[in-house]
Amino acid sequence: MTETNKNPNLLEDALRKALRPEEAPEGFALKVLARAQQQNSAAQEAQRTSWLSMFSQPFVRWAALAAVSICLVIGGVHYRNLQRQRAEGEAAKQQLMLALRIAGSKLQLAKEKVNEINTSRPEPQPQNRSPRSRS
Amino acid sequence: MPARPLADSAPDIASADFADLVRRYQSMVFSIAQHFLTETAAAEELAQDVFLQLHATLSTLKSEEHVKFWLRKVTAHRCIDYQRRRKLPQVSLDEAPEPMSPAQSSDPLVARRLQQFVASLPEKPRLIVILRYQEDMLPEDIATVLAMPVATVKSHLQRSLALLRDKVTRTMGEVTI
Repeated sequence: MTETNKNPNLLEDALRKALRPEEAPEGFALKVLARAQQQNSAAQEAQRTSWLSMFSQPFVRWAALAAVSICLVIGGVHYRNLQRQRAEGEAAKQQLMLALRIAGSKLQLAKEKVNEINTSRPEPQPQNRSPRSRS
Repeated sequence: MPARPLADSAPDIASADFADLVRRYQSMVFSIAQHFLTETAAAEELAQDVFLQLHATLSTLKSEEHVKFWLRKVTAHRCIDYQRRRKLPQVSLDEAPEPMSPAQSSDPLVARRLQQFVASLPEKPRLIVILRYQEDMLPEDIATVLAMPVATVKSHLQRSLALLRDKVTRTMGEVTI
């Protein structure tokens, strides 16, 4: 009869020793992380490719083309409106500046006239008090 | 051990956490595969595949306990799949070569012989023995991992131990292990 038969726990202890966890091979973790990184890149690439492959369907292609065309037309109209508003604003500004210039020159003219009148008028004589006031 | 949360935002676990998990459990996963397949290269490849699968599904795992359970389960199932796919030659207990001389208790060959005997067990009993004696798992936990009744696990364990004891007795003689 062997020792293991005498004590069944001996076999179990021996199994625990024999099946003790072993160290993973050197660089194992680095290899896993590198492969995980590759997996991420591949997944991203696949996602990108699947996004592009959507346009291989004629309906999607035409829909995309129509959407782009509509966007371009709306954008063009909006841009034209913006340009027109800007041009109108610029013209109004020019008119205002002209009006201000005219008003300024008129004011200057009026000021000169007033000055001329003031210089040509004789100095007013000082008035004596009337004799009646004395009595 | 209380379940440790992986991260506050579990669905978006950082890659640093994954690296930490790999370093912490690489020995466990590799050893299960190594003891099951007895081929270092195949065990390493299988263990890497297990961790890559973990990387892809990490966001669904809630705690570190859950990760550990998941790793054991996936490793066990992958071991069986690998063996079936590759149809690795399985040496029966009776066909395992006899040692040249009776082994000594301190002899590392004893451990190697035991590993060979375990490797010659059928798939399920082999996994059960590995999970029981490598991972110190209770039959109830093994039953959960392998999705089988506890009674079946216990029965496999008893039969495997009996087979191994018989083989040890026949091949190693009066060895004190």
